[in-house]
Amino acid sequence: MRDKPLIAIGLLVLIVVAAVAFMAGRKAANTPPPVTATAATSANLPSPGAKPAAEEAPQGNQIDAMRRGIPVNQEGAVPSLAHVENADIKRNRAYPMQPPTIPHSIDNYQVDKNSNRCLLCHARANADKFQAPPVSVTHYMDRDDQFLATISPRRYFCNQCHVVQTDAKPLVANNFKDIDTILSEQPEHKAN
Amino acid sequence: MWTRIKSWAIAFWRTMRRPSVHYSLGFLTLGGFVAGLLFWGAFNTALEATNTEAFCTGCHEMHDNVFQELKSTIHYSNRSGVRATCPDCHVPHNWTDKIARKMQASKEVWGKIFGTIDTREKFLDHRLELAEHEWARLKANDSLECRNCHNYASMDLTRQSSRAAEIHKRWLGSGEKTCIDCHKGIAHHLPDMAGVPQG
Amino acid sequence: MTPTMTRREFIRNTAVAIAANVAGLALPASATNVLLEGDLTQLKWSKAPCRFCGTGCGVNVAVKDGRVVATHGDVHAEVNRGLNCVKGYFLSKIMYGNDRLTQPLLRKKDGAYAKDGEFTPVSWDEAFDVMAAQFKRVLKDKGPGSVGMFGSGQWTIWEGYAANKLFKAGFRSNNLDPNARHCMASAVMGFMRTFGMDEPMGCYDDIEATDAFVLWGSNMAEMHPILWTRVTDRRLSNPHVKVAVLSTFEHRSFELADIPIIFTPQTDLVILNYIANYIIKNGKVNKDFVNQHTTFKRGVTDIGYGLRPDNPLEMKAKNAKDPTASDPIDFEQFAAFVAPYTLEKAVEMTGVEKGWLEQLAELYADPNTKVVSFWTMGFNQHTRGVWANNMVYNLHLLTGKISMPGNSPFSLTGQPSACGTAREVGTFSHRLPADMLVANPEHRKHAEEIWNIPHGIIQPKPGFHAVEQNRKLRDGVLNAYWVQVNNNMQAGANLMQETYPGYRDPRNFIVVSDAYPTVTAQSADLILPAAMWVEKEGAYGNAERRTQFWHQLVKAPGEAKSDLWQLMEFSKRFTTDECWPADLLAANPQYKGKTLFEVLFKNGKVDKFPTSEIEAGYDNDESAAFGFYVQKGLFEEYAEFGRGHGHDLAPFDAYHQARGLRWPVVDGHETLWRYREGTDPYVKAGTGFQFYGNKDGRAVIWALPYEPPAESPDKEFDLWLVTGRVLEHWHSGSMTMRVPELYRAFPEAVVFMNPDDAKARGFKRGDEVRVISRRGDMRSRIETRGRNRMPTGVVFVPWFDAGQLINKVTLDATDPISKQTDYKKCAVKVVAV
Repeated sequence: MRDKPLIAIGLLVLIVVAAVAFMAGRKAANTPPPVTATAATSANLPSPGAKPAAEEAPQGNQIDAMRRGIPVNQEGAVPSLAHVENADIKRNRAYPMQPPTIPHSIDNYQVDKNSNRCLLCHARANADKFQAPPVSVTHYMDRDDQFLATISPRRYFCNQCHVVQTDAKPLVANNFKDIDTILSEQPEHKAN
Repeated sequence: MWTRIKSWAIAFWRTMRRPSVHYSLGFLTLGGFVAGLLFWGAFNTALEATNTEAFCTGCHEMHDNVFQELKSTIHYSNRSGVRATCPDCHVPHNWTDKIARKMQASKEVWGKIFGTIDTREKFLDHRLELAEHEWARLKANDSLECRNCHNYASMDLTRQSSRAAEIHKRWLGSGEKTCIDCHKGIAHHLPDMAGVPQG
Repeated sequence: MTPTMTRREFIRNTAVAIAANVAGLALPASATNVLLEGDLTQLKWSKAPCRFCGTGCGVNVAVKDGRVVATHGDVHAEVNRGLNCVKGYFLSKIMYGNDRLTQPLLRKKDGAYAKDGEFTPVSWDEAFDVMAAQFKRVLKDKGPGSVGMFGSGQWTIWEGYAANKLFKAGFRSNNLDPNARHCMASAVMGFMRTFGMDEPMGCYDDIEATDAFVLWGSNMAEMHPILWTRVTDRRLSNPHVKVAVLSTFEHRSFELADIPIIFTPQTDLVILNYIANYIIKNGKVNKDFVNQHTTFKRGVTDIGYGLRPDNPLEMKAKNAKDPTASDPIDFEQFAAFVAPYTLEKAVEMTGVEKGWLEQLAELYADPNTKVVSFWTMGFNQHTRGVWANNMVYNLHLLTGKISMPGNSPFSLTGQPSACGTAREVGTFSHRLPADMLVANPEHRKHAEEIWNIPHGIIQPKPGFHAVEQNRKLRDGVLNAYWVQVNNNMQAGANLMQETYPGYRDPRNFIVVSDAYPTVTAQSADLILPAAMWVEKEGAYGNAERRTQFWHQLVKAPGEAKSDLWQLMEFSKRFTTDECWPADLLAANPQYKGKTLFEVLFKNGKVDKFPTSEIEAGYDNDESAAFGFYVQKGLFEEYAEFGRGHGHDLAPFDAYHQARGLRWPVVDGHETLWRYREGTDPYVKAGTGFQFYGNKDGRAVIWALPYEPPAESPDKEFDLWLVTGRVLEHWHSGSMTMRVPELYRAFPEAVVFMNPDDAKARGFKRGDEVRVISRRGDMRSRIETRGRNRMPTGVVFVPWFDAGQLINKVTLDATDPISKQTDYKKCAVKVVAV
């Protein structure tokens, strides 16, 4: 009798495994990694297949994905201007120190010595009015790590670190793994 | 000198008071009407001619400064092609306010003649003062020129970005704020805003 | 199992983790229990300089399980004190683009190398076999003048040094030039002509001490963002500080400008002479300083445009043959020379309002205003770039505003080691380490002594410079060519007429070493996969003379190897008999039959330090491969050139501890302001200042005029084309275009155009157009908004996008003195597709 819950858990585990595997399979089938898209543009590239793309050397002659399959000495059609994502959805950061990307368009935002449009909403004192995330505490620190009464002048030009994101699809995927991914891959962690 | 002017004025007054000897009442009435029509037409034509973007940007002060800045904004080019010209925002649309604004403009003619802002440097020096006039006007009339096109009642907030919708609903919908409170510098660059409330 | 976790929680978590692993998925952090266990959450942090620009920010790099997992600005780094720009914050991702090159690729047909073959993976052995055979063929048939190498200001110091030795001593070819030629050659020649010694006298500390910044053709807000944070900090914290920004179009740096100046292209030369004239006319010359520390010279004029010699412009130019000649003059002659550059003339030629010009001139003239002048490509990529450099020094020398905190003419650099490697190591075709020249017999002798090779090995004639290399490849004169750490197919001007034909000429064999398949790699015959950044131990030198080291932190992917390993390993395949003349070997028989590796690298000096001296806890793949501490040996041999000659470097190990040190490092102390008594140990007491690069200890004030550009808009080609960079991408984009966040921030190049120009041509924003010059055309799209506001008649196209190669359009006109290309001025038309 005492084993009943364990059997139930076992079943549950199986179902979860199957479900996750199924979802992962589906996901992979639906959204091929951009590297495949690259391959599609250059006829001579082998399909990445099951092997990780990083281990495969590009072959054929049109190997620079940035050329979008067009030989160096030719000109191809240019993709239309990409649109800035304006959905106000927070994106993940690759690591805690990464400045968050801007989840909305900033067309014609004036940020100069006269005025700073970003701080209209993102200033500490305006958080209640606009419900925008106020700039972090580091933005009040000067070169010597002293806290200032207002935003630190060295952090004044927001877009030196914070940039918008367009809907353009990267031409080459990036294989960077964040710390959570690395930790979840550690065998000792699994055994724990 | 003064007595001579006085004698002319008296002679003129007498002539004007005396009834017409040669012209019929009908002719005078009709003639007066036609003359009035012509005058009114000319006045209105002049009024409208001075109420165009071509006129406003005819001087280099406007053309090289504020008009250039407008060109990269949404009020100059946008998705649907509905755009604002200078008078749309800067000249009231109802007649009395428009005439009042036109009379104020005589000061601008003065400024043009004396070159108050005839270099970029001078323009930037005066920019805060000029902008403050417009902000005060729009604040006083509850952003009337904005609302001629942007009527809160007609806004479909679901077609706005979520943050814009939220803020519009909370501040504009409640009437606590008016357009110009948050949208200073929407069409031109802002002067030094130190001490100017925004938002 | 942690004690606080219940059995049920444990099983649930484990199940999910197993499921996720089966599916090969990374668990989102939110799905896991917060992990707090010490061993697991510990990251190994190490210091490194940023991989990108010449600012030289320090970063901390976190490594876990052999991978970089995070980076951030180093709070202990003096340059950036914890800040990074958006590119720097994404450094963690630059090594992980999915198309990293991991195997050598050779163009092959039917199992053998063929120029028209397809790229095929080969072993390093096969790659080097084919490559050595080609180099040997060319060496034998045509001699050392037909082999060459194009290197980089992104080489580490020892990589540049090894390449210098391999080519100038090993192959006896001076055809070695860095891409820094495109970047700051004019700054180098400017320094040499005025001070007799390269690199800035001041440092970044000037920023916090000055009263005025003048940006001469530098968009620091986008290209040197961290220095811009320091300028911004200074300006906004101290309202008396003024910022003047000069450019041919309005860009982000104008956001901070008190004095915004948009001038007609090329007329910066007029503004410079107008200011000199203003200083003299208003009696603001610092007479004591000028009398004691300067001399005057008048340079020759009409010096041409560095085009091919048969170009009509070159044939017409009177002094194209000897553009550096000069006559000594005196102060009165100089005053008379600049006298015609009046305010009225300046207004007329530059199109700038006179009020701005006067305000700008007064910044320099006012003895109570300390001035920092910054410049980069606006000055350097200029057919009179050396002149512009000389002329801005004139202003600082006339007023004595130099070599002291806050008074500083400061040439910024674009590459992380343009100073450290390209300039200090002397990888230019005319140079040797520590500012020495191949043309000088004393210098050659000195170098041969340090290198422990027979006298007469180093050739006296300067080799082909960057632009000339492309021309000689096209002409079939240069036939075996190795390109490392740069993307010249994208970066070189006039691509279709000069660069591409040479690479694809069947007479030539082109080798490209890179981490990613760039357009240059795509145009090569053999591609060698390179290790990058923290995949190797390295050293860079930034714009303020700061030398910075880093350790190898991770392994390179696949078979990728560092440029250093490639250079040294390749040298094993050549013997002295194949490369050096028989008479020299007969006179020095001890070198006979040795490999180049043995005479250059296993020479008793470079191989002096055992691998045991490598700091514990760090890999060093090159040292492991060769059996000695390669980097230390190369560095210590190289440092011999500069020690005691004003270029002193600290001992090797010191740099692994410090956050960089600014040379000359004498008795353990770095030098912040050179040439001034009290701050520079080389200046003798009682002299005040000594510009000891020149024998007389005096700096030169140059009388140089305005001369028109090589090409200006006309009726048919009616627009000026300016090229340059954007904040989010670095140079040709081979790294930043592979970081998704940076790519998506600015995915494609566009043609920035004034709305009136667009309207006049019937274009709307986003329209597809062709940018056409007399040399080629490129397709792009119109942008009338965004960060750059163009005046009418000028368009700007950034060059980071390999998909839009703007250098198909640009003109390969160079400064005749520095041989640096002018990428800022040529005539184009823009038409609808």
